[in-house]
Amino acid sequence: MRRLFALFLLLSLSAYGETPAFEQRVRSVIDLYAHPRDPARLGYMAIAAKLWLHEDVKSPSQQLEQLLASGPSGDMFWMFQVIPIAYLDRGQLPESSRKALRRAWKTYMPYRGDTENHWLLYYTCLYLAAQMWPDESGEQWFTGKSSEENLRESKEWIESWVRLTTTRGQGEYDSPHYMGVYMLPMSYLAAWAKDPAMKKRASMMLDYLIADYAAENLDGIYVGAHSRVYDRQAVEKWANISSDFGWVLFGLGRPMSPVTDSFTAAYLLASAYEPPEILRHIATDRSQPYTHYERKRTRHRWRFYDEQDGQVYKTTYVRREYAVGSDQGGILQPIQQHSWDVTWAVPDPRGVQNTLFTIQPYSSIRELQTFFTMAPDSAVDAVVRSKKSYDSPDKLVGGSPYEKIFQDQDSVIVLYDIPVGTRFPHINGFFSKDLTALSEDASGWIFARGGDALIACRPLQPYIWKPIEGGGKRMFSPYLKNGMIVQVAAASEYADMDAFRRAILALPLEMKIEPVPEVRFRSLRGRAMEFIYGQTPRVDGRALDYAHWPLFGGPFVEAEVDSERLVLKYGKMRRTLDFRTLRVTDLGAVP
Amino acid sequence: MRWLLILAVLPLPVTAQYTLYAAMATTKNYVVGTPLPPSGIFLKSADGQWRHAGYNHPFITALDYSISDPATLYASAGNGLLRITGHGERWKILTGSEVTELRDLAVDPNAAGTIYFGHSAGIAVTHDGGATWQDISAGLRRKYTEAIRVDRRRSGVLLAGMEQGVFRSEDGGKSWKLAGAAGFQVMHIEQSPHDACFWLASTQGGGLFASRDCGVSFESNGNLGVGQNIYDIAFDPALPDRIAVAGWGCGVAVSKDGGKTWVARNSGLPRTDVWSVIFDPAKRDRIYASVQEEALYVSDNAGETWTKDGLEGSMVLRMKFVPDPVRK
Repeated sequence: MRRLFALFLLLSLSAYGETPAFEQRVRSVIDLYAHPRDPARLGYMAIAAKLWLHEDVKSPSQQLEQLLASGPSGDMFWMFQVIPIAYLDRGQLPESSRKALRRAWKTYMPYRGDTENHWLLYYTCLYLAAQMWPDESGEQWFTGKSSEENLRESKEWIESWVRLTTTRGQGEYDSPHYMGVYMLPMSYLAAWAKDPAMKKRASMMLDYLIADYAAENLDGIYVGAHSRVYDRQAVEKWANISSDFGWVLFGLGRPMSPVTDSFTAAYLLASAYEPPEILRHIATDRSQPYTHYERKRTRHRWRFYDEQDGQVYKTTYVRREYAVGSDQGGILQPIQQHSWDVTWAVPDPRGVQNTLFTIQPYSSIRELQTFFTMAPDSAVDAVVRSKKSYDSPDKLVGGSPYEKIFQDQDSVIVLYDIPVGTRFPHINGFFSKDLTALSEDASGWIFARGGDALIACRPLQPYIWKPIEGGGKRMFSPYLKNGMIVQVAAASEYADMDAFRRAILALPLEMKIEPVPEVRFRSLRGRAMEFIYGQTPRVDGRALDYAHWPLFGGPFVEAEVDSERLVLKYGKMRRTLDFRTLRVTDLGAVP
Repeated sequence: MRWLLILAVLPLPVTAQYTLYAAMATTKNYVVGTPLPPSGIFLKSADGQWRHAGYNHPFITALDYSISDPATLYASAGNGLLRITGHGERWKILTGSEVTELRDLAVDPNAAGTIYFGHSAGIAVTHDGGATWQDISAGLRRKYTEAIRVDRRRSGVLLAGMEQGVFRSEDGGKSWKLAGAAGFQVMHIEQSPHDACFWLASTQGGGLFASRDCGVSFESNGNLGVGQNIYDIAFDPALPDRIAVAGWGCGVAVSKDGGKTWVARNSGLPRTDVWSVIFDPAKRDRIYASVQEEALYVSDNAGETWTKDGLEGSMVLRMKFVPDPVRK
């Protein structure tokens, strides 16, 4: 009944375009988690939710003991689900359940994993477990180390992660799926760490991570380039965990059916941190177009590079009607990189594929061996088991070493120079079923409309269209030296599509294919863009200054590389996060 | 009578007995995110059955022990360098967050408490049994280390299988020099138990490389495995010139002339994608081979015929015969 009530509340309010207050959103998500459809199948998170609600725990405690007796699995993903049980227990669980939970940390060895989010989960949970059960010998822990040793090792790694993130950026950056796995550990530490410095550091990191998302969201949808995204979610951008966070944190957009992902629930079960007002403004104010810059890291590169972490330079242009985002191209992440796109705003994004982009479907042992320790012969097979499209020529996810990108405001030039012999020697362009007024102009430009965004695309080479299962069509162009010019504008800026077309056709444009692709283009915003494959792009005659690219730059968020300092800005409001002193300074008031 | 009494209290010299340890993961039908099938350390019991010892762990790449204390095993693993005692049951992670995804290890037989391991970002050493560790890869431009061996004749002489070839150090890792297989990712390195100056290194795509000058330089050893990947090398402890290698596509190949010529030994194997191979030191001509996601196979005629020997669906990355503690 409570589940039905929570569902009713969420659905009815969203149907009328009303968003419940933050406390109600929190409560409704936890209520849903505490009352799954099948009460006989309570999982760890449901048990934690019941403990949060202080509901009768007789049956959940039995279920907990059964789950633990059947053998934990899931490694760090198991760890993050049982830690809330340990901390929300507060005397509610019988001693037998408590002992079973404690024993599991001795009898089960979670794998620490090979990914940034794995390690943050692992060390956060080990930290909190060691804090929960102090003064125990190594015999009592799967690590073979004492509580004190576990706590110290975890603390040191968490602090090093915060330092690296606030100086050089995240490696697994801006993932609309995995953002949740960074939010929840910080929420845990903010709620449950006893060390005041760790607690403060974690709560500051929540501001940091939320700011990272807030500046690059459009109605809750995470826009711009991503380190990792899944196949469906690359084209149906709403269907990401970021939508749940957008809704929970800011009341933006639509949560997924409603919130069903455990990352968001875990976040709420711990600190349920409500972002400060300045972050709410940054996340929601799209009254003026803006360009936001970020510097991130590549995932650790074990092979083929002298530097373990490469640089990622992001540009994201955001306005009410649409966003255009990109990185510089190349292989920055394995398998799930999303390098550039246009995303347009829609009133209800559910089921809508409100995006457009191109990729070169790159798949190689070299890519996998750059980032993983996998054996060359089984690597692709191992990847394809869980990331099914990785070795497909039709895929729409992934970076390519043969793709270079240049963005200035809402103009993008993407160039490809694919060597002969490359496994999938073509480019794929995603053209959504939700584009309207698509026309192929005799000039070579393609015009289309997505919501209130007018989009012009100019492929450098001939192409054909191929259908996509589930809707839309794939631009397929088998030319090795290739590219695409994209210019977007708001519908409100032109009388109609024909006026937009005339404006685009009037823009000076020079294109060359040999010896490498090259484009000179004056954008609708009056900027002279020059881009030669393999060379630094130039705008108005000046090369992009990658050396001074900020960690964050733009009207809302500022941070210099190596500074460990982030400034949030909105009107006269300022919030400064100084991770060196663990001090937060607020200035100004709402304009 | 008096002599008989004295004999009764002395340790009896017995024929060496060994336990076969396998570092494996059950990967057939496994998908990341689903519960991990039994994986980690498996021991072959005296009755021939395999026993899963200790924790379930998806990522153990190699095993080694000190000849002075074979009851203590060391394993390179995803979670770090493991010390394993109690017949595989008691584990302790000896390293911390400074390393990940360990690829290989070597216990120095001439320096008590000295263990080297190679990992995703370098090489580390302990001289105090794992209490403290130092990175010794500063002198290497590229750090990824797939293989590490210490010369059994002299402490501090190391051979490392790197992304760009075999590198040699004569000062415990303070400095390194390219020894051969330049440009190839080295997969494995072994020193002959019969001739300490004979070494073999296997590579990704480049075949085998041999050193007959005590590991100072490595030269191509012919066409075996060229264009394929060789993952393991086993010297027969009984016959000086017999060597087996395991690879992908080439399966098991055996040489009877010290690596000059090779014969494919895949009859009876379900496929020729083989991860690891080892000779049984206690039974002449017996050899084991791990076939990708099929099973472990055993041959009692040095690979001429094979039969299944358990560990179905697995990939055994490394096997090790460990001497049983001397019975008193």
